[in-house]
Amino acid sequence: MMFKTLVAAALGLAMTVLPAAAQDFIAGIPRNEALIIQGPAAQNAEWFNLWAPGGGASNNGLQQLTADTFWFINPEGTGDSAWTNALAADRPQYNEDFTQMTVKLKEGIYWSDGVEFTADDVVFTVETQIANPGMGWSAPFTVNVESVEAPDPRTVVFNLNAPNSRFHTLFTVRWNAAWIMPKHVFEGVEDPLAFNNNPPVSLSAYVLHSYDTAGNWVIWKLRDDWERTSIGQELEEAPQVKYVVYRNAGNPDARVIEQMNHNLDVINDIAPEGMFTIARQAGANSAYWFDGFPFAHPDPTLPSVLFNHQVEPFENRDVRWALALLIDIRAVAMGSYRGAANLAALSTPPTGTAIVDYYEPMQQWLTDFELDTGSRSIRPYDPTTADQIAALVRPQWGDDIPDDPDLLKRMFGFGWWKQDIQAATELLQKAGFTKQGNQWMKPDGTPFTIRLMVEGDNIPTLARAGTIIAQQWSMEGIQTTVDVAGPTNGQRLGAGDFEAAIYWTVETWGGHPDLSFFLESYHSDFIKPLGEVQPPRNLQRWQDERLDAIIETNRTVAFDDPKVAELGIEYLQLAVEEMPFIPLMAYNKFAPFDTTYWTGYPSAANPYAASGPFWSNLRYMIVALEANPNAPQS
Amino acid sequence: MDGFAKYLVRRFFQFILVVFLGVSLTFLITNLSPVDPVEQTVSLMTNFGATDPRSVELMREALAELYGLQGSFLDQYLSFWGRVVRGDFGPSLSSFPTPVMSLIMGALPWTIGLLTLAVVITWILGNLLGALAGYFRSNLMLKLAGATVMALHPVPAYILGLVLLLIFGYAWPVLPISGGAQMNLQPSLTFDYIRSLILHGTLPAMTLVLAGIGGWFISMRSLVSNIVTDDHVVYAELGGVSSSKIFSQYVARNALLPQVTGLALSLGSVFGGAVITEFLFNYPGMGRLLVQGIYRGDYSLVLGVTTMSIIAVAIAVFVIDLIYPLIDPRVRLG
Repeated sequence: MMFKTLVAAALGLAMTVLPAAAQDFIAGIPRNEALIIQGPAAQNAEWFNLWAPGGGASNNGLQQLTADTFWFINPEGTGDSAWTNALAADRPQYNEDFTQMTVKLKEGIYWSDGVEFTADDVVFTVETQIANPGMGWSAPFTVNVESVEAPDPRTVVFNLNAPNSRFHTLFTVRWNAAWIMPKHVFEGVEDPLAFNNNPPVSLSAYVLHSYDTAGNWVIWKLRDDWERTSIGQELEEAPQVKYVVYRNAGNPDARVIEQMNHNLDVINDIAPEGMFTIARQAGANSAYWFDGFPFAHPDPTLPSVLFNHQVEPFENRDVRWALALLIDIRAVAMGSYRGAANLAALSTPPTGTAIVDYYEPMQQWLTDFELDTGSRSIRPYDPTTADQIAALVRPQWGDDIPDDPDLLKRMFGFGWWKQDIQAATELLQKAGFTKQGNQWMKPDGTPFTIRLMVEGDNIPTLARAGTIIAQQWSMEGIQTTVDVAGPTNGQRLGAGDFEAAIYWTVETWGGHPDLSFFLESYHSDFIKPLGEVQPPRNLQRWQDERLDAIIETNRTVAFDDPKVAELGIEYLQLAVEEMPFIPLMAYNKFAPFDTTYWTGYPSAANPYAASGPFWSNLRYMIVALEANPNAPQS
Repeated sequence: MDGFAKYLVRRFFQFILVVFLGVSLTFLITNLSPVDPVEQTVSLMTNFGATDPRSVELMREALAELYGLQGSFLDQYLSFWGRVVRGDFGPSLSSFPTPVMSLIMGALPWTIGLLTLAVVITWILGNLLGALAGYFRSNLMLKLAGATVMALHPVPAYILGLVLLLIFGYAWPVLPISGGAQMNLQPSLTFDYIRSLILHGTLPAMTLVLAGIGGWFISMRSLVSNIVTDDHVVYAELGGVSSSKIFSQYVARNALLPQVTGLALSLGSVFGGAVITEFLFNYPGMGRLLVQGIYRGDYSLVLGVTTMSIIAVAIAVFVIDLIYPLIDPRVRLG
């Protein structure tokens, strides 16, 4: 009797939940007017202060949809088309010695509350942040800016403390940049660090509509006066996306399910298995960076095997090269990305303009590059890696894999180093190592073992790559254990608490050949002793006078000077010779789109914008999307 | 002082000792964490931008000062106790300068709503089924129910949740699989909002019930199995007392005492959240908050959440200790 009652109660509960299927997905907003993007779980949903510590990196649409600054670089773009003047009317103008930068501002741009944007907002932004240490861009402004003036409402002049030909990059968005503050809002605020800025006024095309106090979603609405924004001024007609919903769609499995249920239009990143499930099951309702395999979008970041140069024997170039030649990159590509990896032999990501500025021009140099193993000279570069990976994945993906070698290079990279056990042996012997049985011994007679650090589940593809490389090194007599660092990964990398690690130490503009984005921090002036925290990048603490010379020359060259790419090539050649870290691949991001409601997403064939939801360049994708005429009517 | 008063005073000092040791231990553990909140924020601010090393140095110094991380370990420990007494855990370091209490107060209603309901349902169902199965040992339906909950018992909550997520989110998509309520619906006492809360809470609650019911079932069945052979039960049966009366008055009631203690402990631990289930269903409760705090090196937040949990469990145990003499006269020590 009791059991029957329980069953009846369970059925009753089931009946109450059945209407869920018929419920609007977003209360009060037609689904076909809303673009739903994967967002984060906000810890403090009431907080909209972009200029508080960490605030400018918010991933909930705040910086992506409401903030603006002088310039944008499309990380996927090449040449002039990659550059966009946003709030600035023109490119930055420097004086001869790069101690002054003048910016002309566009006219007719207004904050969402109707107040006009002027040069006073810019001056206020810089002065307020200098006066309040801890604000997002306080430190770089304090280091660089002597004074800032607005001679008229459309002109800003920055007087710098020292020559800096890259000062404008503080205001140039790749992912984010120094966003301009609304003076009329913040000037009445006693403590700008404690101000929640809720609701925020917007300087871009969307404005806050509503948000979840529990932090699971934020909805942004197209401004009625969207034309009075820098992005709106470039549009011929109103954006079709009326609402943008940043939604925390849960764990990776839930994200895949939600996209297949058409409840999540844009995914930021999922594991290859999730991507392949969507590709197979969602079929015509999906779009990807590549039309078919490998689907993934290569970010302008460069996962690599990092060596700590302050820990022996990794200061030895021959050891680093030997370890590179022990790697079978095909197995790494298959094991980490199931073949969907974009390999990189050069120390810059094979994306955006790096293809035409660096990878294509340097192919012959790479092929001719000779390495002295101590016994002989070898040419380690293998330009056929892409063909080999294609052959490995063709049985699974069939016609998705083209025969065209140029296309294959775009998909799988230009080439990598041939696995060469004999050459690695010679290099280790050259470095004074000896082999006892199957164990390599260091010159001091102790076993050569390596702890290879990976972050873990947070970036599963890189954890898998680390595991495979550890296996390969162990098989060849260097016992390697995988050290999962979890949330301490960044900190341990910074403090030098690692021997070798899989992580990225190179990020670039993507859409511009200038490598100062990461290279500036590689100067030996900034290298810390072991135990002290190294500034971001150059986590391997590579020190080389030739590198310093390249960096110092780059500082004196204007951002758009053709010499920038020449210096880039010099750096890349030096990095091949020294192998300070082993570049593996671009960080391939699986970011599938659901096309049930929206079409026109960026792709490898039409890379007009960034596609990752957290990149601020995403705004250019959002305003370009077109409603799918076949979408279900809500 | 009579026996009950002595008992009360002894239990109160035990309560104070438990809270003191628990909170101190939590402070020690979180302060030993290698995750540095300043580095986490620096990383957040510089990971994707072109920030030069000189600025990063300056940024690091400014944040350390702003977060108030100076002072010796003892200074920080004493200051922490001062804040605990005032009910203030200071600012969150990952959501600076929002007070930790404000974040906890945002997450607590979700967790209390979900977990209290799930714990109570699990406790009632598990004990009821366990008691029935222990008393009516030959009933086929109860055997089947018992086998089912026993089979579910060793399955981790993560797997159960994932299965439910696939069944009700994908194969038969009738329930929301993520979040606490429907999007763009503001909290209110309206039918739509309450229905949305129930719908979004169903899968997490089902996961917790299915994962937890086996434990109560096994312990209750075991207790009842022992009691049914006691003299007083045999005597009642020989005396012709009805089965239902023997079950409810002589068996279940006696078996319930340790289960009540277990319920109190479970209700107390509600304040720590259900970490895995909340993560799986993206439920905005204390468990998710705790995980965020750990990952971001926000030990103010971690301390806040765990201290709340420790105090809640200690209070629950203390209250049960106070109520025990009323339930079981044998505890009224003279």
